[in-house]
Amino acid sequence: MTFAERMLKIDRRLIFLVIGLCTLLPLLYPVGLPIKISPEVRGVYDYMESLPEGSVFLLSLDFDPASKPELHPQSLSLLRHAFRKNLRVVAMTLWVSGTGMADQVVTQVAREMGKENGKDYVFLGWSPGGTAVIMNMGQDLYGAFPVDYSGKPTKGLPVLQGVTNLRDVNYAISLGAGNPGVEAWYVFGKDKYKFELGGGCTGVMAPGLYPLLRSGQINGLIGGLRGAAEYETLIGQKGKAIAGMDAQSSTHLAIIVLVILCNLFYFSVRRQVKHQGHSGL
Amino acid sequence: MIFLRRQVPLLITLVTGLVFAVQYYVPHPASEQMLTSVTKWLQIIGGFALVLGVSSLFHVHAMKIRRKEVGWGYSFVLYVSMLGTIAVGLWSNGKEAIDGAMTSFGWIYNFMMVPLQGTMFAILAFFIASAAYRSFRARSREATVLLIAAIIVMMGRVPLGEYLIPLSGDLSQWILNVLNASVRRAILIGVSLGTVALSIKIIFGMERSYLGGGKE
Amino acid sequence: MPIETIIGAWVATGLTLFIFSFLYRDNPLFKLAENLYVGISVGYTIVKTYDTVIVYLIWNPIVKNGEWALLIPVAIGMLMLTRYMPKAAWLSRYAFAFIVGVGSGLAIPRVISSYILKQIEDTVRPLLIMVPGEGLSFTWSLLSPASSLNTIIILVGVSSVLFYFFFSVEHTGLGKVVARTGILFLMVAFGAAFGYTVMARMSLLIGRFDDLIEFTDPSYGRPSLWLMGLTILILVMMAQRSSHKSEEE
Repeated sequence: MTFAERMLKIDRRLIFLVIGLCTLLPLLYPVGLPIKISPEVRGVYDYMESLPEGSVFLLSLDFDPASKPELHPQSLSLLRHAFRKNLRVVAMTLWVSGTGMADQVVTQVAREMGKENGKDYVFLGWSPGGTAVIMNMGQDLYGAFPVDYSGKPTKGLPVLQGVTNLRDVNYAISLGAGNPGVEAWYVFGKDKYKFELGGGCTGVMAPGLYPLLRSGQINGLIGGLRGAAEYETLIGQKGKAIAGMDAQSSTHLAIIVLVILCNLFYFSVRRQVKHQGHSGL
Repeated sequence: MIFLRRQVPLLITLVTGLVFAVQYYVPHPASEQMLTSVTKWLQIIGGFALVLGVSSLFHVHAMKIRRKEVGWGYSFVLYVSMLGTIAVGLWSNGKEAIDGAMTSFGWIYNFMMVPLQGTMFAILAFFIASAAYRSFRARSREATVLLIAAIIVMMGRVPLGEYLIPLSGDLSQWILNVLNASVRRAILIGVSLGTVALSIKIIFGMERSYLGGGKE
Repeated sequence: MPIETIIGAWVATGLTLFIFSFLYRDNPLFKLAENLYVGISVGYTIVKTYDTVIVYLIWNPIVKNGEWALLIPVAIGMLMLTRYMPKAAWLSRYAFAFIVGVGSGLAIPRVISSYILKQIEDTVRPLLIMVPGEGLSFTWSLLSPASSLNTIIILVGVSSVLFYFFFSVEHTGLGKVVARTGILFLMVAFGAAFGYTVMARMSLLIGRFDDLIEFTDPSYGRPSLWLMGLTILILVMMAQRSSHKSEEE
């Protein structure tokens, strides 16, 4: 067996080790390379900036713990930005297993910014039905969520004053890890109720949302941990996303090197086989 | 009996399907009120659907334990953890936190469910790297195009890549915004046409698989 | 630090490492964590469904507000559950017929409007732009997504990919050229999707490592370090035991 053949058949646990080290070392010893802002993330930021004080901002945290590392930093940054702008924040989730996380992030940022539950923000919690919840909110927000997460009736909450349905929302952002997520909020929400919509999503979903971005159906897109890092840079508050960018860089580079190496070995083996074939003739 | 078991369900689908397709174009208050009521109903039905979804899991693992099949101990762990979570959850009134203070249910969620689910998906990072090493080869012209596009995007979406090859950022942006968007758009249009066609077939009873098998 | 947080850190670290142990090989620690995960997730979903649906969407509105019409979805939901009663299973068809009918009806106009019309509208944009004072202009910039050149590329991409998936016409002659163009576009999109999938998966790993690093802190009692040692020890012992077994056999 030649060297190239042996390298093509190496124990996969060695590759695991390389990836593990490439992730761990930059987290322990960060470099802090500058992060360039993409137009899609700027789209969300600029719209948030343009909203006047007291505007209604709906944040739907449509993800579960499996996508926490990507979407949790996005939600932290967006909430910090919204509270800093004194927007009225209405948070919710369409994913049952994300309820606890969503409550935690909203409460944490609200406390950090000195905001009051019911007056400056409300966490509506989770309700089943996915797209049906969006449509029902479009018809009657209080029917979809008669009480908030803590069990308080939503009708009469100062934060929801003047809000009857999704038409009264100035800006909505869905941080989606799948379905229901950004697309559902467009199809079953914005299409009929005409509120402005932005999106945040996992890296896996991001390429699929570009058609909606191009056509203006969503006015911005925060994609994965990189998008979160860009938003953290924009609001000037470093968090876990920026801290993770060095590790992201090194793992990407490791995979690129691995792919190049595997191709080098592959072509070397192929050339050898061809050569042997010719000499055999 | 066939009328009750087969014709009535098909009639329900036909009527509800047509009514709610037309409803979109009728902004009359009565039509809107109907949409409001039915979407609320769907929320409640969605809750029952979740129960239906998990109940098959109860059955499978209960059988495993009863028959003492290989690995029944793990099924027992599953059952105990499920019942334990339900008991603690009900005791905590279904809340992970009350006024910001973590409940026992919240403790299970934060220190068990979140790390378990997170790690279950995190280990895929290792497998995607291993798969890339083993199978990502420029065997043909098409595979080479795929490989180059992947490398450009991987470089262009991280700070180190943009630092080493400054053009990679703009190039990956163009790939995503133009080439990728056009393909995704074509797929979106194609899938949507398929969805509409399937919905029409369902409404008019040409597609009946949702009714399930079994006796007529 | 509260004691429940310290215990939580130890439990979270232990469970994380149990799952990571799968990278070495399939083992009982991983299986234990896997089943624990399924059990807790199902239990959590049941509790949340009970709390939200039964208490806040059914019981309170009906009993406190007298919204008796809500008994209709309750009845439909109950019909759905007859699926598990062989003699009455056919009744569940009524529930599914309602859900599928309403779902299809709601989807048709919304999907046509959101995905078909809006997407086609953005694909067939004007190629020439009217610039005040300059007249008609064609923009060549590749970096501007709205440039005329990119509009043409998108039009070519969308048409060729749609044609590639259209099998009613044989892909020969000019059709073959169009279909092959479609394939090249598809490959670029798959490459981009792969790049982003790598990005997503690595982000998840970074997230878990972040927590493990946090739990090396002395305030938690360094559970990451202690439990990593313990997990490795258990895996070594298991490997030794299985090698002894195979030797005996």
